[in-house]
Amino acid sequence: MTGIYVFSEDPRLAAELATTAAALADEVHVVCLGADASRTLTATGATSVVVLEAAGAPRPEAYVAALAGLMRDRGADLLLVGATVTGWEVGARVAALLDSALVSEASVITALPDGAWQAERVMYAGGAVQTETWSGPGVVTVAPGRAVAAAVPGSASPVEVVAVDVDTRVRVVSRTARVRSGVDLASAARVVCVGMGLAEPGDLALAGDLADALDAEVACTRPVAEDRGLLPTERYIGISGAHVHPDLYVGLGVSGQVQHTVGFRDAKVVVGINTNPAAPLFAVCDYAVVGDAHEIVPLLAAAVRARH
Amino acid sequence: MCFKWVAAEGELRVDPATRAVDASSARRKISDYDRNTIEAARVAAGSIGSELVGLTFGGPDARTGIKDALARGVDRAVHVVADEGARADGHVTAHVLAAQVRRLEDVDLVLCTEGASDTYAHETGPRLGELLGWPVVTNVRELTVEGRTLRAVRVLGADLETVECDLPALVTVVPEVAPAPIPGLRSVLGAAKKPSEQVPVADLGLPAGAVTARTTVTSFLGYVAARRRVVLADGAAQDKVDALVAGLAQDGVLR
Ligand SMILES: Cc1cc2nc3c(=O)[nH]c(=O)nc-3n(C[C@H](O)[C@H](O)[C@H](O)COP(=O)(O)OP(=O)(O)OC[C@H]3O[C@@H](n4cnc5c(N)ncnc54)[C@H](O)[C@@H]3O)c2cc1C
Ligand SMILES: Nc1ncnc2c1ncn2[C@@H]1O[C@H](COP(=O)(O)O)[C@@H](O)[C@H]1O
Repeated sequence: MTGIYVFSEDPRLAAELATTAAALADEVHVVCLGADASRTLTATGATSVVVLEAAGAPRPEAYVAALAGLMRDRGADLLLVGATVTGWEVGARVAALLDSALVSEASVITALPDGAWQAERVMYAGGAVQTETWSGPGVVTVAPGRAVAAAVPGSASPVEVVAVDVDTRVRVVSRTARVRSGVDLASAARVVCVGMGLAEPGDLALAGDLADALDAEVACTRPVAEDRGLLPTERYIGISGAHVHPDLYVGLGVSGQVQHTVGFRDAKVVVGINTNPAAPLFAVCDYAVVGDAHEIVPLLAAAVRARH
Repeated sequence: MCFKWVAAEGELRVDPATRAVDASSARRKISDYDRNTIEAARVAAGSIGSELVGLTFGGPDARTGIKDALARGVDRAVHVVADEGARADGHVTAHVLAAQVRRLEDVDLVLCTEGASDTYAHETGPRLGELLGWPVVTNVRELTVEGRTLRAVRVLGADLETVECDLPALVTVVPEVAPAPIPGLRSVLGAAKKPSEQVPVADLGLPAGAVTARTTVTSFLGYVAARRRVVLADGAAQDKVDALVAGLAQDGVLR
């Protein structure tokens, strides 16, 4: 047992993973890129912080071979990687180089008594949960928000700087920010979700008004954000978007495919408003309102306001 | 381009008591987003005058998927036929696809989807790229090839990143890269005339370690929603709304 290694290009996520790892092993090594990140990470109580250093300002994906080499040299058992777009790639490529197991976006990780590992992950976008075991080296990616990053008082992990070679075959030409709303859907108490059944530009005002009456955040399905560009992408809920756990979720013109509904499974009460009585959303609803959202939504906003 | 033949997630039968999953009666389909990938690959291949090969690794039933892929614009299809009962994880899948890509010769570009409808693991593409030793570009929503240079726009959360690399390369794409048109009758009929090939996995000559899954599945349980499903379908819109608001007030979820 040589401990768990942890990597994320995002220091906050790396700190979360260090907390997860500390529950699984006595020895936790956090790997990061750059001295700035190491300063945050020495406070996590990790056994050590390893800084990979290369000339220039390479993209995180450029360190894949260096990270795999470190794992191999140190005989690491397990690498936890933050499940971002970059982390998915880094985790999978490191697993390929180590010829090892990979569990993508694990929800539960367990160290088995015989030295083997076990992890759970969602399959069919939430239709099922699969438990996998493996022995020998492995890579597991973990989504943000799965653990709380705990600063360990008085801790200052030793920092080791390792000079490495990087892969520069992919060159960054430019990077631009898309429109951000700065919204934190994860902490919203109520959510009004716009689906493609209510996604003409004029319809947004209807949803916005209902959200205002309910004191809710406006969210949407993936196509509303990614195809139509009607709302910023941080506002879409689902397996590839935000996970929410509000008291109330109201879906307007949302069909309710599992890739979307998995994102609000923990909601206390779920309401669907849909013209189609056979919409899959109605199977995972507390209240299934069959009707045209254009008609129902203004009445609902008025009825909610009438209670104030 | 690589596509996967999967069970339709909406048709899995889950026993509410044991949560056991029965996928035997679920229809099979080309993984949803792989259909967008076929279209993006068709356009990219057209732009550089290349042939588009559709590649899938799966059981004998994936044969139906081959026809669908040909109808959707693949010029030629290769089906690596998995041994029945052998489980393939990402490790096995990537080794098999890499071996088959190497057999094709002169491949400039391999497209995978970011994730498949069943696994959604974001694993196969980057693993495959690494095994091939090629540059890897993931989560791409725009893609062009000029000469020997690939230029791609990646979606990184709220950021868009434009990158370049030389071919050959492995690219994973998000569905927004291209629409997935439903093939017309002519394309469906035309598909019957296009070539396809079935390759038993044993013919790839891979060592046993490459085709042995690294992970073992010890449990697979379906999800059962516990919701009340109060249906408000009849009467005037105002009556439905009043019933809903009364219910929500009782549940204590209105502010
Ligand atoms: C691998 C994968 C990952 C995915 N990840 C996500 C994800 O993270 N998030 C996500 O949202 N989706 C995701 N999807 C897409 C998902 O499968 C659905 O396609 C999507 O959620 C559908 O969005 P929708 O309900 O807005 O649109 P549609 O499916 O088009 O549904 C529109 C609904 O509106 C109803 N309607 C029409 N007019 C009205 C009206 N006037 N009043 C009331 N109702 C009306 C229709 O009956 C219909 O049910 C993913 C898919 C895959 C394959
Ligand atoms: N068995 C397979 N045959 C062909 N392509 C596959 C297979 N498995 C995965 N892929 C490709 O890899 C993508 C991502 O799969 P995954 O990493 O499992 O989410 C899929 O959408 C396909 O493009």
